[in-house]
Amino acid sequence: MEHAPLLTMRNITKTFPGVLANDDVSFDVHAGEVHTLLGENGAGKSTLMKILFGLYQPDSGEIRLRGEVASITSPTSAIEQRVGMVHQHFMLVPTLTVAENVALGLPSNRGFRTDLDAVSERILEISEQYGLSVDPSIEIWKLSVGERQRVEIIKALYRDAELLVLDEPTAVLTPQEVDDLFIILRQMTANGTGIIFISHKLHEVLELSDRITVLRNGKVTGDTTPSETNRQQLAEMMVGREVKLAPDKPHVDLGLARLQLRDVSVKGDRGTMAVDGVSLDVHAGEIVGIAGVSGNGQRELAETIAGLRPAESGSSVTIDDADLTKAGPARTRAAGLAYVPEERMKDGAVGEFEVSENLLLINHGDPKFRRGPLFDFAKIREHCQRLVDQFSVKTPSLETPTSSLSGGNIQKLIMARELDSRPSVILAAQPTRGVDIGAAEYIHSELIEQRNVGVAILMISEDLDEVLGLADRIAVMFEGRIVTVIDREAATREALGLAMAGG
Amino acid sequence: MKAKRMLKLFAVLFAMTLTAAACGSGDSTSTTTSECGSDLAVAAGESVTDLSVALVAPSAKDDVAFTQSMVDSLTRLGIEPQITDGTFVVEEAAAAIRGYAEDGIDIIVAHGTQYGGSLAEIAPDFPETSFIWGTSADNQGIANVFAYYPEADQGGYVNGLIAASIAGADGIGVVGPVEAGDAVAYIEGFTLGAEAGGSSTSIVYTNSFSDVALATTTAEAHAANGVAVLTGTSQSAVGAVNVATANDLPWFGTQSNTEAWSSDLTVASQVYHWDVVLADMIEKIEGGTLGGEAMALTLENGGLVMEFNGCYDLDSSVKSDAEAAIADIIAGEIVTK
Amino acid sequence: MSQFFTVSVLVATLATAIKFAVPYLLAALGETIGQRSGVLNLGVDGTMLLGAFGGYYTVIQTGSHLQGILVGLGIGLAVGIVYAYVTVFLHAQQGISGIGIFLFGLGFSDLLFQELVGTPKPIRPLPTLDKLPGVGRIFEPLVDIDIVGPLLFDHNLMTYMAFLLVPATTWLLMKTTFGMNVRAVGENPQAADSLGVSVAKTRFIAILIGSSLAGIAGATLSLQLAIFQHNLTNGIGFIAVALVYFGAWRPRWVMAGALLYGLVTATRIRWQSLDIIPQGASDIAAMAPAIITILALVLLASRVRGPAALTRPFSRH
Repeated sequence: MEHAPLLTMRNITKTFPGVLANDDVSFDVHAGEVHTLLGENGAGKSTLMKILFGLYQPDSGEIRLRGEVASITSPTSAIEQRVGMVHQHFMLVPTLTVAENVALGLPSNRGFRTDLDAVSERILEISEQYGLSVDPSIEIWKLSVGERQRVEIIKALYRDAELLVLDEPTAVLTPQEVDDLFIILRQMTANGTGIIFISHKLHEVLELSDRITVLRNGKVTGDTTPSETNRQQLAEMMVGREVKLAPDKPHVDLGLARLQLRDVSVKGDRGTMAVDGVSLDVHAGEIVGIAGVSGNGQRELAETIAGLRPAESGSSVTIDDADLTKAGPARTRAAGLAYVPEERMKDGAVGEFEVSENLLLINHGDPKFRRGPLFDFAKIREHCQRLVDQFSVKTPSLETPTSSLSGGNIQKLIMARELDSRPSVILAAQPTRGVDIGAAEYIHSELIEQRNVGVAILMISEDLDEVLGLADRIAVMFEGRIVTVIDREAATREALGLAMAGG
Repeated sequence: MKAKRMLKLFAVLFAMTLTAAACGSGDSTSTTTSECGSDLAVAAGESVTDLSVALVAPSAKDDVAFTQSMVDSLTRLGIEPQITDGTFVVEEAAAAIRGYAEDGIDIIVAHGTQYGGSLAEIAPDFPETSFIWGTSADNQGIANVFAYYPEADQGGYVNGLIAASIAGADGIGVVGPVEAGDAVAYIEGFTLGAEAGGSSTSIVYTNSFSDVALATTTAEAHAANGVAVLTGTSQSAVGAVNVATANDLPWFGTQSNTEAWSSDLTVASQVYHWDVVLADMIEKIEGGTLGGEAMALTLENGGLVMEFNGCYDLDSSVKSDAEAAIADIIAGEIVTK
Repeated sequence: MSQFFTVSVLVATLATAIKFAVPYLLAALGETIGQRSGVLNLGVDGTMLLGAFGGYYTVIQTGSHLQGILVGLGIGLAVGIVYAYVTVFLHAQQGISGIGIFLFGLGFSDLLFQELVGTPKPIRPLPTLDKLPGVGRIFEPLVDIDIVGPLLFDHNLMTYMAFLLVPATTWLLMKTTFGMNVRAVGENPQAADSLGVSVAKTRFIAILIGSSLAGIAGATLSLQLAIFQHNLTNGIGFIAVALVYFGAWRPRWVMAGALLYGLVTATRIRWQSLDIIPQGASDIAAMAPAIITILALVLLASRVRGPAALTRPFSRH
């Protein structure tokens, strides 16, 4: 008889009021394999994993671990049964050290007193075994995102996890960090760990997985392996219709330079120069992509263009020849800038606000929404409903709190609001980060449409596929400077990767 | 023997002078001496009026200071008022005052300078009610408001004079609360008296009427500086009295008799007998005059009484000097402010 | 003026500061533990008042200071159970619940005082080290040592306990599993919960410790002053809460804050009593502790971040 799989989830069904989140889902993982769970936001991946981790109980169906029926009632019982989870939003305490985070919740050898030396020793052993280099005595807040993820993995391994769930682990990583992560994961499967990998970045899924299960609307719609499939097929299984992964870009004649940056220098939060003498033109009818590993000044540059961060003297930012170097966000917007910020929940939308309130965030003062001194709610409804329909924002109602929408839908909402102002320049930072394929496809096509009608678009992205797919010209940022600007036709992934690393 | 007879004669003369000086205020006396070990509880007098009386006061009714002195005074007049105490918050006091007025109480005693503003709003709404308010030397020109205030500097001077005889060059520590009202009057009078007696005062205002910890710390500072006598005022003074006890330093009180706190270390207390002016006011109210003037408590009218502690062995010559000073103050020969 | 800045004046000022700081320090250390777990307790002052009355009344009845302090602790514990239940299990808003505890403490301590005692009646103050029965004579010669004596050996037992609690609190927070859990639930309760740390239990215990210390602080105050009175604390509990922010949630900085506050107050009183500070400046001098505390808060607040989950109730979904 063949070895029983490490995990078998059989005929799992879970309903929430009004939603069938998991509909008769079966799924298994063998020791030593990476089994990918692929699906758009809301497809049921998170629900399935929360059931596995004891946060939800299924309505029906059974879970077996190593062939035995398992009852998982809480995260603690999941951990005890050697199931580990690396959450998309890290479950780390920033002010505690690596060792303290790892030791949290576990009994100490010394009873009431912590025994962090022993914990550190064990961490170093694990680090060495899997190439997860990290200093156990350092506080989490001092670590990069990639390092924090390593701590999460160490936490699971420290608890002897045999089955590890990684929820969108690459969403926040740079390409180099993704490569490092994959090396670590392969090392783990070689040692017999079973891994559930949740992602919607198709080339990563194809690169890493042994098997792939696709979910859509709570149901399994595909069960395949990388050798049997390709990106196009996977995308269609996820979305349930034909998908254009590489958007069509018709030729457009370049117009005048609408956004002009001259010698822009900006100080970062720590007072050091984050942007150092950047000069760049973005013309009507083109998308300029800024590629680079995050933390090389992209965020500060975007904030300066949007009027949110003061530039050093000698800098110049103009839109359609209007000098906006010292203008605040209101004047910059009035001059024709639409801004899709990187941190959409922090800078782009107010989570507690209703959908309609966020749609009206930048133009609630517009006289067309007023009747006398009061809001004209009928007009507002009509306006918001039109935006929601036009940009296919999936929301139960206009009154739904924005924070309860998925990332992709929040991003569509922000795009709807920003593009409705008929901008002359669009500044889009990480427009599809953490957004599912359907929404990303939509956002990309919308950006190209804007380009086609003569809007100048500056897109900042760490996703090389996105930059290569959309941009007409590509600028690479490294340590606050633009190190190279290449036409799309001349650009290769390798050359860009090299430039991003400062080479 | 001769000296004793002389003293007796002097005392009789002194009492006669007082009686004469008090002209009309009946049986007032400006000094008393408690019997050591006696109960300090105030006995209820015969009731002077059938009118209903209410009292609104900032601190607790048994604070051994400002509020208790008023409760005791009403008791002496045979009045059992309805009481709302602990109203440091003026808005609460104002609500209580208005409430009593609406209930048809005839006389409302608003025992706190800080209630003046509220009273100016409330009193005109109830022209049939008489309001008695203090301490203030001015009735705000309202027809149905009587004001009262103690000339606290007078007893302060007497206390200071006696204290100087004990302290001499070592000096006297003064624990003041907030630099205002009768506290300032007392302390300034005390300082004049102390200087007249050849000593000096060190004055610290804690800036709080109620902060016992600060009063304690202040008294400790004085004690550490080597003063020989302590005095102080306000309900926070209880902290300073404790320090006096701990360091075996004589204490001088004001407002109420502080013997309860310090047993035999209180030498003398200037006690406010509001009943003297209250009796006058009530008489006028019964005669149909509901207010319109301010009345002072003085040694002369018996509103201020120097209460000597029978348990403290005060040199008799010092005591007679003090009594002479009282007579001089009443006669206007000593100016205490 | 001859005494201007002599060594003995400075020593006396420092010694006063140390004594004055004790109730502040005890209450602030307790609040530090609570806040580290993510729970703000604005009821410290009310808890102190109840503890102060309980301690005072116990000493009146039994004459035992030790029992007085223990009663203060017990009262703090009882109030803590109520506050913890309301904020941790009922998820009540912490700010307003704390104000409720304060108002209850203010009113109820006064009511009990009126009913059970009436007129303020002094008790024996807490004895200093050299007056302790039995062991006092060991310390008696030490008190007379120049400078060191009055500074270090002329205090009561609670002073030593308060200052020993500073390293003890640090140890509890930094070196024990409980302390690690406290810091974790105050910073990221979701993370702690995902690892099986009970957020509710951890916060509950942290609040109980904090509230007990507030009760002890109150009893120490009334036994130190040897009296009880309406609103005896005069806002010490609120200043203790401010000191936690001042001290950036670290026990030794909280101690520094309490000592600074005590020193500024002691300096004002001592120096005014010696006429080093002129009488006319007394109003300004009286504001000094508050001003210095506010300045420190403003300067520090921009640099140090408190527990991220402070005042945020935790529930799983």
